[in-house]
Amino acid sequence: MVISKDQKLCDKMKSVKEFLQRAKAGDIDIEDFLSKVLEKTEKIQEKYQPFITINKKIEGKFSKKLFGLPISVKDCICTKDIQTTAGSKILEGYMPPFDASCIAKIKKEGGFILGKTAQDEFGFGTFCTNCAYVVPKNPYDVERSCGGSSGGAGCITAAADFPHIAIAESTGGSITAPAAFTGTIGLTPTYGRVSRFGLIDYANSMDKIGVIAKEVFDVAFMFSIIAGYDPLDSTSQKLPEEDFTKYLDKDVKGMKIGVPKEYFGEGVDERIAKLVWQKIKQLESLGAHYEEISLPMTKYAIPAYYIIAVSEASTNLAKYCGMRYGATEEIKGNFEEFFAKVRSKNFGEEAKRRIILGTYARMAGYRDAYYLKALKIRTKIIQEFKQAFKKFDVLAAPSMPVLPLRFDEIAKLKPIENYMMDILTIAPNMAGIPMISLPAGFINGLPAGLHLMADHFQEGKLITTAGAIE
Amino acid sequence: MKVMIGLEIHCQLSTKTKLFCSDSIENAEPNKNVCPVCLGFPGSKPKINKKALDYGIMVALALNCKINKSMFFSRKSYFYPDMAKNYQITQYEIPLAVDGFLETEDGKIRIRRIHLEEDPAKLLHVGGDITSAKYVLVDYNRAGVPLLEIVTEPDFTSPKQVREFLEKLSSILEHLGVYDSSREASLRVDANISLEGGERIEIKNISGFADVEKALNYEIVRQKGLLRMNVKIERETRHYDAERRITKSLRKKEYEEDYGYIFDPDLPEIEITEDWIKQIKANMPELPHDRVKRFVSMYGLNEYQAKVIVYTDKYLADFFEECCKSYKKPTEAAKWIITYLLKSLNWHGISIRQSKIKPKDFVEFLELIDKKVITERYAKELIKDYVDTGVSPRKIVESKLTKIDDSQLEKIIEDVIKENSKAVEEYRTGKTKALEFLIGVVLSKTNKQADPKKIREMLLKKI
Repeated sequence: MVISKDQKLCDKMKSVKEFLQRAKAGDIDIEDFLSKVLEKTEKIQEKYQPFITINKKIEGKFSKKLFGLPISVKDCICTKDIQTTAGSKILEGYMPPFDASCIAKIKKEGGFILGKTAQDEFGFGTFCTNCAYVVPKNPYDVERSCGGSSGGAGCITAAADFPHIAIAESTGGSITAPAAFTGTIGLTPTYGRVSRFGLIDYANSMDKIGVIAKEVFDVAFMFSIIAGYDPLDSTSQKLPEEDFTKYLDKDVKGMKIGVPKEYFGEGVDERIAKLVWQKIKQLESLGAHYEEISLPMTKYAIPAYYIIAVSEASTNLAKYCGMRYGATEEIKGNFEEFFAKVRSKNFGEEAKRRIILGTYARMAGYRDAYYLKALKIRTKIIQEFKQAFKKFDVLAAPSMPVLPLRFDEIAKLKPIENYMMDILTIAPNMAGIPMISLPAGFINGLPAGLHLMADHFQEGKLITTAGAIE
Repeated sequence: MKVMIGLEIHCQLSTKTKLFCSDSIENAEPNKNVCPVCLGFPGSKPKINKKALDYGIMVALALNCKINKSMFFSRKSYFYPDMAKNYQITQYEIPLAVDGFLETEDGKIRIRRIHLEEDPAKLLHVGGDITSAKYVLVDYNRAGVPLLEIVTEPDFTSPKQVREFLEKLSSILEHLGVYDSSREASLRVDANISLEGGERIEIKNISGFADVEKALNYEIVRQKGLLRMNVKIERETRHYDAERRITKSLRKKEYEEDYGYIFDPDLPEIEITEDWIKQIKANMPELPHDRVKRFVSMYGLNEYQAKVIVYTDKYLADFFEECCKSYKKPTEAAKWIITYLLKSLNWHGISIRQSKIKPKDFVEFLELIDKKVITERYAKELIKDYVDTGVSPRKIVESKLTKIDDSQLEKIIEDVIKENSKAVEEYRTGKTKALEFLIGVVLSKTNKQADPKKIREMLLKKI
């Protein structure tokens, strides 16, 4: 059925909301729209390199809720028959035989998989510079990072001049960092809220699939589609499905906001802190109350996080040995020599560093001092947040301590300085609580992010709060 | 010299599907029963098979263990080609159950722990054995099959006791219906053995109870020899070569292997509630121990007979009970089963379930003896043919009695007398053994189709 088509519609239409309305009304020739989107994507790719793979096959049923809306997917999420590498050479050419559960849901609702976005190898990074394929460039300044590890997702969201939503993933801040650096909105859901089935693991006890988009509505809308119980993921939570866009209709009157002082301390750019405070004051003017609080466990978060993350990661990466899938080498010598050759050649430097650190932290004799102790610290951090959420609906803080860094600045960072950049995102990510990063304003033309955190399964409160000050 | 032996027993549970995915565990062409989960594909996640937990709890109860109220799975990391993920999902800090025991004739064997884990893939060593193969083929059908690992304390004092324990354990597992003894290598044993004055030696991966006993006996002789020559026995892992019946060194063990255990973050804590255990207890099948008692009280067997029948295997006990439904002399049935049927099965190296022996045929066989259609002596011969061919004894007897008529037999006997004049002469001079020889010759000429009793009578008339 061909309905009257406005040929210029595709060029004018930018927002997801408008696209959905027009598509529902039958105003859009989806195939034509998508081929234009692909042309635009190619141009964006030339300029900013957000993609490892662009999906040029326009096929599928573009109806239901999504009508063919272009969805980019972080490369660590399995897409059937579309190359999925998790940003690593060791999985070059890997075609997953199945879709991740969230991708199956998106396809079922008629979404179009636009491509696979760039990331730090297996999520190992804060700036999306530990990349085996492409390093995405920040659309606000191509000399600067998009943040990581979901850098490609932030990049394409900021650069797309067409309706689009990005599926991203966070372990220790990989949604918040790119959202903050690219002036977009990033929702990291509660651990277990979106099925991890089909997600290539970094640290399974902390990995969360989430959304990056331009508007809070887009984030709430997509989150409603991908959230929900999945029997294929044993850590998936049994909660009823919900339409999270309804939380945009609520207001913040009477809402209690906690402002943790540890998140405004040393190392945090004062200009960013100032913008964040402006936003908190804005919420106050809308009827919310705020109070400063202290979260003293915060200082233990980074070491504990890195111990747990590298311990899990080092076991997750063991399977890549050239035997069953992914990169392989000439079969020579015994199996140990062969595995060593495949792994030495195809893992990047940061992956090797984390494998070695993780193997060390798990070793008999060190296990009690590192791995088991880190697990105890995580429990304490969760308890501290739980305590805070007895009193507060949301916590507000800066998303990142710095503005988007220049690539040459990043290259000079020592690993430990690099890890310290996660100081504001690690604790909530470890605790598995939901968080949203949204633009707090601009400094010298560069975006800064406001971070809102809520109790487990209280994504609704984040959507209401973010929606109020968007 | 004091011998100390401890066992680690790996038993494949006979669930329908694997421990962490829905692939079948049935035998199949190599690499047919596989999926992204048991092949360790990126993004796949394990999902616990509740049935395997039920089975594990049943075994723990039968072995008098304490069951942990909550348990975790862990990742045991090591690189090996039979490991799809290069880590094995197993249980470490908090296993399913601890502190149990099983009685043997020579004393109690304590069970240290019982835990669930996934079986690795099967390796096929091509062009040699584990130490000399040119290359290895991998069959992932076995990857992810649920394994129950049962670890004992080093309480065994002899290989014989080990064998008794294993047979008893196997019978328990069969009675619980959690284990299929007919599957290839469904029960594998790692045995740790040390002699006074020597370090602990581990013999890995022995399947078959007889082989476990043989391997341990070999080790005792070998280690005694070394000690006698004042050679120090160092910690070592050895492998049993079933064909040559010897153990061979695999690797020296200077230190404990470091498996870098972490909790498997894909599998949350599992709570084992009182209700769950209660439900399993309520549905526990009869255990061998109780069955032995029942065989004594219900069928009038002596304890020895009851134990042999029940502990040999569950199916032999089932067979016995099936026979007793229509045959009313249980002790007589038990005698024939234990003394002759079992001997014959053992000689063929098969179990009752693998044989073609049917309770109905066996009852007819016993009735043939009772009605004196066949002599006991002949019956002992007949049972071998029966196990060998699976043809019912009644049919064997009938065919033998009918296929050769008297005139044919007479002709054969006359020929034999003519051809064996020397033997005939010997018999006439008083050597009675010669008669047995002649009967044998006649019998073989009739292809064992004639009744030896009749041959004897006719022969005697002729000479």
